[in-house]
Amino acid sequence: MASGAVTWRGAARRPGLGAMLPLALSGFGLLGLAVALARVGTAPGRPLPWLLGVLALLLLGVLGIRLAARGEGRAARVLPAALTGLLTVLAVEVLLRAYGVPAGLIPTPSRVLAALWEARTVLLQDTFYTFVLEALLGFGVGTVIGLVLALLVVRFRFLERGLLPYAALFSSVPIVALAPVVVKALGLEWPSKMVVVAVTVLFPVVVNAVRGLQAAQPLHLDLLHTYAASPAQTFRTVRVPTALPFVFNALKVGSTLALISAIVAEFFGTTGHGLGFRIQIEVGRFNLAVVWAAIVLASVVGLAFFGLISVLERRFAPVPQGS
Amino acid sequence: MTAAPRRGRLAGSPLLPMLVVLVIAVLLYLPLMLWANVGPASRALANGADLGCPTAIACATQLRNPVLPAPGQLAQGFRSLSVPPTAPTSAPYNAVVTGGETLLGLVLATGLGLVLAALLVLSRSFERATLPWLVTSQTVPIVAIAPMLAVLLGQYGVQGFLPKALIAAYIAFFPVAVGMSRGLRSPDALQLDLMRTYSASPGRVFFQLRLPASLPYLFTALKVAVTAALVGSIVAEISTISFSGLGKMLAENSRASDTIALWVIMTYGAALGVGLVALVGLLERVVTPWRVGR
Repeated sequence: MASGAVTWRGAARRPGLGAMLPLALSGFGLLGLAVALARVGTAPGRPLPWLLGVLALLLLGVLGIRLAARGEGRAARVLPAALTGLLTVLAVEVLLRAYGVPAGLIPTPSRVLAALWEARTVLLQDTFYTFVLEALLGFGVGTVIGLVLALLVVRFRFLERGLLPYAALFSSVPIVALAPVVVKALGLEWPSKMVVVAVTVLFPVVVNAVRGLQAAQPLHLDLLHTYAASPAQTFRTVRVPTALPFVFNALKVGSTLALISAIVAEFFGTTGHGLGFRIQIEVGRFNLAVVWAAIVLASVVGLAFFGLISVLERRFAPVPQGS
Repeated sequence: MTAAPRRGRLAGSPLLPMLVVLVIAVLLYLPLMLWANVGPASRALANGADLGCPTAIACATQLRNPVLPAPGQLAQGFRSLSVPPTAPTSAPYNAVVTGGETLLGLVLATGLGLVLAALLVLSRSFERATLPWLVTSQTVPIVAIAPMLAVLLGQYGVQGFLPKALIAAYIAFFPVAVGMSRGLRSPDALQLDLMRTYSASPGRVFFQLRLPASLPYLFTALKVAVTAALVGSIVAEISTISFSGLGKMLAENSRASDTIALWVIMTYGAALGVGLVALVGLLERVVTPWRVGR
């Protein structure tokens, strides 16, 4: 057993050491190429050697990532994705510079970072406007109304047959067709976008919450019946715990839809605030570095929102879910 | 036992609740429409507009750009935008164009998604390197990229039908890839062991076990993807120099503030969305008949 343990420890250490060298060579090599091209200032005459260099370094990186992905440790799970992202960004930077792609078409990652910093005040204001006033409020309103409707649907069978089919149908309505109607009806300020988001979130919440509330097993309900439990007790102890995983699934879908709906709704009219407005107007100006910066910011906010709901899900609905 | 006859009676007419809800919705719509339009109508009257009606209530159903259109106005709007259905300016024609772009995008996304899903399943290092980014991408508002992609493709000479389909494919690609990778992984250990006892090659395990087992997951993913792809197509039409499609109609009538036309186009967009999902469902029944009973 002692020799086995030693072998195991040796095997655990070797991938780390083995992966480090090719990864370091790949990363620093790409960084060196990027710095060299930045010094050149203009696009070199012949991009092919740079392309071949990038490909060679990427192959080295792939080898390192394969080695890093071995084993079951936490590093083996986290490192490959992080390194893939880093190497991809570096490779994109080098190739865009080598081929002299105009910034008006595809800005380099470094230029996007610079734009993010330079326009941080305006972009943060836009993010507050779009995410907090439109997406978050709309998400809250849509969720509350959706849950109330779900309770009504489960309580009254007539509503289940009458309302639920419409909710399922409306889940397929493209938000981009709904947005101009609502914006024209309610004005250019943020309330109209909030309504669009609320409507978008409402339908998945209703459908999933009803499915969850009805997922309570007859065996459990009968058991509570033999205990002479009141309907409120049965509801609280059986139906609600059973429904929570479904509800959180809907909330995760809704959190993604909320931000997308807010941004798309802004394409149809706003008073000069918001990420969607910023994206649209800067695309028209070919100021794509700011556009990408806005998208990066929206992605980070969207990820944080989704992550928050996932944390709440693990806290309140720890039942493992099937696919 | 008292519940049984009641259930039987309701089961006897399954459409009755839907019809009742529909009638109630229509009845609620009329006062809501009057309430929404009376404000603009009274403002128009106060400004001296000659609407040909004496009071704000009477004018509420005759505004040129109502907040909520009256049923008669809606019917007229449908007629003017739907006849003849094959005209390039009619909503049915443009809906078919948008639907075509979306379906082409979906086909491209399915092909690429399947390849990526296979790679995710067959190579663990590839999975660890890329799956987190795929999952992350689903929280990214990718539809916001549509205007930029449209401009980019236009600069490189890709115009017409294809850029919208490519944007739809880009948006639909991720749910398909993630859904398919989950599906390809769905066979349980018992089934895999059975294949092993048959000395099946990895190729046969993939094509005869994993691929059929993943088809239900594929169609579930496609139903999610088709709605997202439709949004992408319409946003792409709005962002590019488009000559057809619902997005072009939305952009034009939005600028003209023609609210009746917007309502009609919204209805066509809704019907297109429902129709596309139904089409995927129909294809699912054909391709996976063993799941029809579920």
